[in-house]
Amino acid sequence: MNEVSPDSSFQLVRRGGGFVRSVVGPFAALLLVVGIFTIADNMQEDGGRFLTLRNAQNVLVQSATVGVAALGMTMIIISGGIDLSAGTAIALSATALAWFLREDFSPAVSVAAGLAVGCLAGCVNGLLISLLRIVPFIVTLGTMTIYLGLAKIIGDNTIVRPLPDQVPEWMQELLRPRVEQAWMVFAPGVWLLVALALVTAAVLRYSVFGRHVFAVGSNEATARLCGINVPLTRIAVFSISGLFVGLAGLYQFSRLTVGDPVSGTGKELPIIAAVVIGGGSLNGGRGSILGTLTGALIMQVISSGCTSLRLPNPIQEIIIGGIIIAAVTVDQFRQRRLAA
Amino acid sequence: MQRLLAALLLLAVAGCNAASSGDSGAEADGKDGYRIAVIPKGTTHVFWKSVHAGAQKAAKELTAAGTPVEIQWRGPLLENNREKQIDIVGDFVAQGIDGIVLAPLDSTALIPSVRDAQDAGIPTVIFDSGLADESIIVSYVATDNYHGGVLAAQELGKRLNGEGNVILLRYNVGSESTEQREEGFLDTLEKELPNINILSSDQYSGTTIASAQEKALQLCNRFGDRLDGFFAVCEADTIGVLAALDNEGLAGKITFIGFDPSPLLIDAMRDKKIQGLVLQDPVAMGYLGVKTMVEHLQGKEVPKRIPTGESMATPENMDDPEIDKLLNPEKAD
Repeated sequence: MNEVSPDSSFQLVRRGGGFVRSVVGPFAALLLVVGIFTIADNMQEDGGRFLTLRNAQNVLVQSATVGVAALGMTMIIISGGIDLSAGTAIALSATALAWFLREDFSPAVSVAAGLAVGCLAGCVNGLLISLLRIVPFIVTLGTMTIYLGLAKIIGDNTIVRPLPDQVPEWMQELLRPRVEQAWMVFAPGVWLLVALALVTAAVLRYSVFGRHVFAVGSNEATARLCGINVPLTRIAVFSISGLFVGLAGLYQFSRLTVGDPVSGTGKELPIIAAVVIGGGSLNGGRGSILGTLTGALIMQVISSGCTSLRLPNPIQEIIIGGIIIAAVTVDQFRQRRLAA
Repeated sequence: MQRLLAALLLLAVAGCNAASSGDSGAEADGKDGYRIAVIPKGTTHVFWKSVHAGAQKAAKELTAAGTPVEIQWRGPLLENNREKQIDIVGDFVAQGIDGIVLAPLDSTALIPSVRDAQDAGIPTVIFDSGLADESIIVSYVATDNYHGGVLAAQELGKRLNGEGNVILLRYNVGSESTEQREEGFLDTLEKELPNINILSSDQYSGTTIASAQEKALQLCNRFGDRLDGFFAVCEADTIGVLAALDNEGLAGKITFIGFDPSPLLIDAMRDKKIQGLVLQDPVAMGYLGVKTMVEHLQGKEVPKRIPTGESMATPENMDDPEIDKLLNPEKAD
C-alpha cells in the first residue's frame, strides 16, 4: 500500500492533468450510465419512470449513507491507506445513537455520542497504524470485527429499538425521499452531504493539511524528508474519516429508525468501490471527492435502473462488479501512460 | 472507460428484454393491467420460492380471467438486510408500481417506506410478518403464527405425556411472526401443560443455519443430559437445531418440533429425528397476497386480516395427500 514508486511522486507534480482524467472521467461515466438506462427504460412499453424527479430523489437518498462514509474513505485512500472497518463502525455508531435515544438522552446528546463513537473508532485505527507500524489493511481487518463485537455488546445482541416518540421528527425526515418542503427538492441529508463534500474537497485541494495527505500517499519517504509528520497526518486522516463514519451512522439510523448491530457488515465494500470507481488509486496519492460521489451514484443508478428494467438482482451485482474492474483497469492504463 | 462501460451496459440492456417477460403472467400491457411488486424477506430460503409460485399462480389466473397482472419479484438476499428492503420499496415507489405486496423484515423499520408508498398513492398488502402500524395497509395475509406455536406446544405435550424438560430456541428480535409463535408456544405450556419445565427460552438463533446450529450446540452442551423436548421456530432455526442434535447424538432420542418444511427436514422426519413440523401455506400466502391486492385495486372491499391456515405434520401423517402438499409446496423456478 505504501510502496514508493517514482511515478506516483511524479504525479503529485502533474496534478493538473490528473484532475481532468480522474474527475471528468467518472462524471462522464455517470452520465453514460444514466443515459443508457433512460433509453432502455423508455423502450419498455410502460417505461418512462426512470429519469424522473421522484426517482432522482430516491437514488440520492439511497446513496447518501455510502456517500458520506466515502468522503472519509477518499481521504484515507489518498493518504495510501484503506479502512475495512468503515462498515461495522457505521453500525457501531448507529447502534450507539439508538441506545442513547432509547435511554432517553436528548437527540443532541445522542447524535453527539454517535459522532464521537465514529470519530473514536477512526482515531483508534490511526493510532494502531502509526504506533504499531502495521499496514492499514491488517489493522482495520482486525478492528472490523472488534467494532462488530462492540456494537453487539451495546445492542445486547439484538436490535436497539427507541420508541417512535424518542426519535425526533427531523431525524426521520433527514433521508426521506419525498421532502416535506417542496422548495428543498432533495432530502436535507442529501444537501448536508453536498455541503460536506464541498468542504472536504476544498480542504484536500487548498489546505496545507490536504497537501500533506496527498504527499503522504504519493511517497511517504519523501513526505517525511520534507518534514511532514507522517504518523500525525495519518491519525488525523483516520479521525476525520471516523467523524464521517459517525455521520453515516446517523444517516443509516435515520432510515432504519432502529439500531441494528450487524447492519454494517459488508458496507465497507461499496464505500471503497465508490472511491475506486471515482478514480481513487489504492496505491495512494490520487482520488477526488467529486469522483467518489460520482462512483457512489453510479452504483445506485445501476441498482435503480435494474429495478426499472426488471433485471434480477444477480445481473445487477454482476454489472457493478464489472464496472469496478473496468474502472481499475483504466486506472492502470493511466498510471502506465504517466510513467512512460 | 466509457467504451468498456457502454459495452457492458448494452449487453445488460440486450439481456433485459429476455428477462423482463420471465415473470409476467402474460404479455401484460401497462394500461389495462396491473404491475404488482412482491417483496419477500429474503430470496435464499425455499419458503419464499413457494410464495413466488403462489404469486405467479394468481397472476396467471387473473390474466387468464381478463385482468392482466404482472408480478415483479425482488427481495434482499439475506433476511436481516433491512436497509436493502427499504431501498427496494423506495425503488418501486419511485417507479410508480401499481401495488406492493410486502413481507416486512422489521415490524417498525419498514413503516416509513410503506407510508411513503401510501403518500404516493400506492397501496400495500402485508404478508407473512406484521407491521406495527396497521392503519397504512390494505390487508394482512398471514399464518396465524400464535396458533402455530399453540399447535407445537400441544404436540410436544402429547408426545411427552405432559411432563419433561424443554427448550425453545427463538429466531431473531423484531421478527413479528416468529415472536408470536414463541408466545403461543410459551402461553400454551403455561396454561395447559403445567408439568412441562422450560429449561431455556431466552436464546436467539440468528438468521443463518450456522448461527442457529452454534446456539443449539451451546444449549445442548448445557442441558443435554436432562433434555426431553425442543422447539425451533422457523426453517433456518429448525435445520440448525437438527444439525446440533445429530452432532450431540440426541436426534431421535428427544422430541423435536420444528417449523416450516424443507427436503432435509422431511427426510429427518422419515428417520424419526423430527417428531413434528408446523406447516404454513406459503403458496396460499403469495396467491392471496396478489389476489387481495388486485381486488383492492379494482375497488372491491377486502378483509383487513386474511388467515392462510396452519397444520401439524408428524411421522404418522406425513404421507396424507393434504399434508404432503404442504410439505412439498410448489416452487417458482
